[in-house]
Amino acid sequence: MAKQILLIDKDKNHAGALKTYIERQQYDVTCATTFEEVKHKLDNNSWDIILGDPFMSEGMSSCLESVKRANPVVQIIILAQKDKLDTAMDIFGSSVIHYLEIPANSKALDLALTAACIIISQNKKINWYSQKLADLDNTQNLLNQMFEEVPCYISVQDQNLRITAANKRFKYHFGSQIGGHCFEIYKHRTSQCNDCPVVETFQDGKSHSTEEIVTSKFGKQYNVLTQTAPIRNEKGEITQVMEMSTNITQIRQLQDHLVSLGLMIGSMSHGVKGMLTALDGGIYQLETGLAKKDDDRVFKASGQIKTMADKIKKMVLEILYYAKSRELQYKEMTVATLAENVVATIKQMAKNHAIKLNILIPKTFGKIEVDPNWMEAALVNFLENAVDACVFDRDKKEHRIKFEVTKNLKNQICFAIEDNGIGMDTETKNKMFTLFFTSKGSQGTGLGLFIAHRVIKYHGGTVDVESEQGKGSQFFICIPFQKPDNAKIVEFPGADH
Amino acid sequence: MKKKILVIDDDLNIRDYLVSLFNDNGYQAYVAGDVKEGFKKAKETIPDLITLDIEMPGEWGPRFYRQISQDPELKNIPVIVISGLSGHQYAVVKAVASLTKPFDRDELLKIVKETLN
Repeated sequence: MAKQILLIDKDKNHAGALKTYIERQQYDVTCATTFEEVKHKLDNNSWDIILGDPFMSEGMSSCLESVKRANPVVQIIILAQKDKLDTAMDIFGSSVIHYLEIPANSKALDLALTAACIIISQNKKINWYSQKLADLDNTQNLLNQMFEEVPCYISVQDQNLRITAANKRFKYHFGSQIGGHCFEIYKHRTSQCNDCPVVETFQDGKSHSTEEIVTSKFGKQYNVLTQTAPIRNEKGEITQVMEMSTNITQIRQLQDHLVSLGLMIGSMSHGVKGMLTALDGGIYQLETGLAKKDDDRVFKASGQIKTMADKIKKMVLEILYYAKSRELQYKEMTVATLAENVVATIKQMAKNHAIKLNILIPKTFGKIEVDPNWMEAALVNFLENAVDACVFDRDKKEHRIKFEVTKNLKNQICFAIEDNGIGMDTETKNKMFTLFFTSKGSQGTGLGLFIAHRVIKYHGGTVDVESEQGKGSQFFICIPFQKPDNAKIVEFPGADH
Repeated sequence: MKKKILVIDDDLNIRDYLVSLFNDNGYQAYVAGDVKEGFKKAKETIPDLITLDIEMPGEWGPRFYRQISQDPELKNIPVIVISGLSGHQYAVVKAVASLTKPFDRDELLKIVKETLN
């Protein structure tokens, strides 16, 4: 497109002649011969070049100055009488591209116009580059923000699996040791992991993914889903690999929880089948005992039915406990009543297995604040475990359980339960209060001691265990007399995973 | 002479139930609480029938079945599986019957009677 020139000259003839001459050089020329006309044309059009006399009328020079300030890309060529050129140079200095005297030398005019065109085109290029640079800067900022803020752990690794860059989340959880080996930082290992996806990506240039367990600088373990992508240079060679790891710990925990729930339901349904069969057996013994007038059989049958009813009650309580959070219902009761209730529940079970019970319940300890349902269930659970420990033990001829109520130095009530049953190995002892851990095969749900321990804890109490495999176990369950201030809600077991 | 039935189950209550049930119906019942004891009792008594639980602490029922299958004295003794596990995949391959707890008393007695006749 032809350049637009505004020609300012009060001499109409001179202006006309110049216009004709310049238009021959492929420019579009518009003439303005009065100050008003100049102002009007400057306001309403955009010009590439202004060619004219700043002294044509008063105010013209300042008008041109303000035009240049407002639009620096416009190129001004001064055309003035010889005696005014110096003044013009003082006013405009280097902001004007050329100073020509009237009458204009055609060669000088051509050169001035060509120079103006070159500067205009250079300015356009500079503007274009500036715009590109600004866009690049914006894009870089955006990419950098994405890299830093994306909710994954991102690291960039070289051929030696050294981390050359990492995002904010990675640095926060795994430290900012740029230059360290990935396997050291992620897994605290001294050598490369097997089937490393980064190595595979270096080899085949494809994205690979694995699931890993990594350890943060705080010692916390996370399950992460790791994906890799190659970073290539201008020749297409892979120089680095980006590794992006998404934390899926919560998903895995939920999955484990669901698997555990499935196992629990399976184990419970198996338990229920056994209980129903035993209950059937009790009813059969009762019916036939009555028919035969066999008192021993009737007595034994009623004991068996009661035991089964208690077992079913316990299982239902455990499921209820597992199913939802609940507030403990504290009541005041004497320590002796609590202990005697517990013993009454366990007596028949011990008798069935010919286990001697040694009970020591002093009447002098007064009252205690507990949730009777839960506390009794918890203590019965510990005693039942003692019975089971005796039943599973085939080595000793005689089995006994001692249940003693005492007070400790902290003025807490302590229930000491001692058995000479099968005892526990270290693993069983360490895991005994873990959810779904059982050493009883199909006869345990892995809920009982977990819940019993929780109930004691929420009453502000403690459980200490001593055990020797083959010899027996001792449990010391201590709880304060008064209800603690901070332990009211029994939580859903999965909630703190 | 009364026919001998060996009951192998780790649950004392179920053992007592089966013993009473069999004794009341004209059989002589013996009991064992696990596979090891079961094999010992089987050798001692040479029963006419064995009822076998599958899931027990220590060794499970199928191992007992393998043991008696390899013993010339015991290999022909019929076995009825009585287990809390359902599904035939758990059943002993050549068991004459497989009952799931809680089992039907009359059905069990009927199977026992038919097997022993």
